[in-house]
Amino acid sequence: MSELVALHTQAVRGPLVTPYLTALGRALVAGRTSKAFPDRRPLEATLAALAPELHQGLYDEVYVDARSGLPNLASFTRVLADREVGIESLTRLESQGELDARRGEAEIFERMARKRRYFEALRGLELAPVDRHRVLLRRHEPEQSRASFKVELTKLLADGCYVRVVIDLWQRSSVWAQSLVRLDDGGEVAEGTEALQGTVYRFANFDAETLFVRLHEIDGVTVERVQRGQIGPVLWAIPGEGVLHRVAEPGSGALARAWSTCLPDLATGPPQFVVMFASDTAANDVREEASNDPLSPLLGDQLSSHERARYGILRARHPFKVYKDRKFVVTAAVRPVVEGLCAAAGTKNLIYPLA
Amino acid sequence: MSENASKLNLGALDRQVAYSGEGISVRSLEDNIAAERESQNGKVEELKVLRERNVEIQSALAEEVGKLRKFGDYMDGTAVAGGFWAGFKEIISYVPGFRNIAISRRSIEELLKQQYQISARRVKEAAEYVDTLKRSEQDLYKEIDRINQKILEMARNEAAAVDFVLELKALVDAIEAEKQAVEAGGIEFRDLDAKQDRARALLAQHSANLQLYGAAEERYVSLKENTRKLVETIRNLGQDISQYTTAASIKLDMASAQIQAIGTAADASVVMLELKRSLDVMTESMNATTQFVSDTQVFFRRNLDTLITELETFDETTTKMLDANLAESRQIEDERIAAAIEKARRHKQTAGVPSA
Repeated sequence: MSELVALHTQAVRGPLVTPYLTALGRALVAGRTSKAFPDRRPLEATLAALAPELHQGLYDEVYVDARSGLPNLASFTRVLADREVGIESLTRLESQGELDARRGEAEIFERMARKRRYFEALRGLELAPVDRHRVLLRRHEPEQSRASFKVELTKLLADGCYVRVVIDLWQRSSVWAQSLVRLDDGGEVAEGTEALQGTVYRFANFDAETLFVRLHEIDGVTVERVQRGQIGPVLWAIPGEGVLHRVAEPGSGALARAWSTCLPDLATGPPQFVVMFASDTAANDVREEASNDPLSPLLGDQLSSHERARYGILRARHPFKVYKDRKFVVTAAVRPVVEGLCAAAGTKNLIYPLA
Repeated sequence: MSENASKLNLGALDRQVAYSGEGISVRSLEDNIAAERESQNGKVEELKVLRERNVEIQSALAEEVGKLRKFGDYMDGTAVAGGFWAGFKEIISYVPGFRNIAISRRSIEELLKQQYQISARRVKEAAEYVDTLKRSEQDLYKEIDRINQKILEMARNEAAAVDFVLELKALVDAIEAEKQAVEAGGIEFRDLDAKQDRARALLAQHSANLQLYGAAEERYVSLKENTRKLVETIRNLGQDISQYTTAASIKLDMASAQIQAIGTAADASVVMLELKRSLDVMTESMNATTQFVSDTQVFFRRNLDTLITELETFDETTTKMLDANLAESRQIEDERIAAAIEKARRHKQTAGVPSA
């Protein structure tokens, strides 16, 4: 019911699906995510759309990334494609009443009645995008030949986590011929160039400071803030029929090791979850450089002494400071595992309960 | 009435024959057949629309498979005269919205994910047709049931008409025999003659019914055969699409992590060969979907046009047959009436009464 079926792909089936998706949905609410993270509601909608209660049993499984513990690209795409195709199909299908009335005639009418309900429900949902770029104009100062923009990217990362990157930057018009952001003729609507989108997209996998440095070094561009909010990874374990179904490839980090150690104690009892929300900010207005993330120390602290010196020179050219944090949403039985991790790292993290 | 006349069984003259359903006439038969054919024509129209939609999907899929194959070829390095990056610029230009841009600025991972989503949608669009076809199939099975009921009804009515026509024929002959035994022109003779006329009128009426019910039965049988062919066409088509789309869908589900992995790797300019391998997996799934569309086209070309032609031919033939029957019946009736008038004139002339 939770076996690996392809590269980093775990099929969660049958009675596991609902408790898995329900717990994830609750964790999103409990995590109290800010605007630095991907929008919560579309992601909740995607989780709901993957559940049998909404798709009326049309699918047997949910494909989950075996590393991040979140629904993977195939699952995100499934509901998005169903929504697109469904909206078109609804114009051709008979009414719900007509299909319901024919349910007893043949299996196909019973199936179409369910499908129509699913499509109708999907139509009203705003689903989580696989990727989405947005550029918003914050301020335009024509007399100064400059404008300030907020650049946003929501992305399903290749490691299965879901991230939002938000960048506040200024751009001077003297170099707009090769600009990152274009304004329309009215000076009101901004559009990111493909060069900007490509750069942000590729660097979304890395720390906020890496993207800050990369963009800040472009002529005419001044970066004020790069903020990165990531949902996942998720460690999950659901007992069922004498087997402990669980995230298949949790990695080898400190938390994953501690998690693996406590698994035998989780073989019976309720499902257990550790859902992580990591944030990473590189900004001019960060007062003190620090990491409150027990799983991700500052970049400078991870370098050898030789590399650290070079890094110091690089950082001296830029005014920003970095702050990292991570909060957790956990079920009761695994709370001590997370608390132990934070204590060992010397961090003070928010740990919200997941009922 | 004479003693001889009382030996005749005249019950048939006053009996109402119990034909089931509504009464039949050439017009009512036309109307009924037209109604039965309406749903069948609807299904044929649906299939026509489906054929047109398939052409659209086939074009879209062919284009996407072309792009994926381009990716694969360029990853091989075999199709690039001006080097890898020159070739890559070309393949990026195939993706909507990415024309005329520098490849070094693009994210391969993003491109691949976009292509993955387009492919997934195409497969789902194709899979939607399976349910549409299954629904049509069920509707047509129901139609066959209805036609079968009609065939039975027509067959029973035809049998009833045959019995009655034979009975009436026997009565006409018996009356004729009786007439030979009585005085010609006498009261008893006139009475028998009147009864024979009634019997003949009924005979004409029910002979026409016999023909109509027989024609209707044959026509409904032909209609059923065509409907059955339509069902088989739709069922085969649905099964083919189902197989292809299921295979393509599974492959896409299984390839999602590979697509992301090689996208990231390509963005980092690492392990280009992995990109090629993963693209092959994706191309394979698209190939499967394209294949079904192609097969569908052939299937339609071979079967649908023939079916439509057959339906039209069948309809035309039956109408002609019914028209001919009607014309013949009218001619017989006219001849009878003419003969009767002639006889009446002769009778009046013999009696010395001037004709009107």
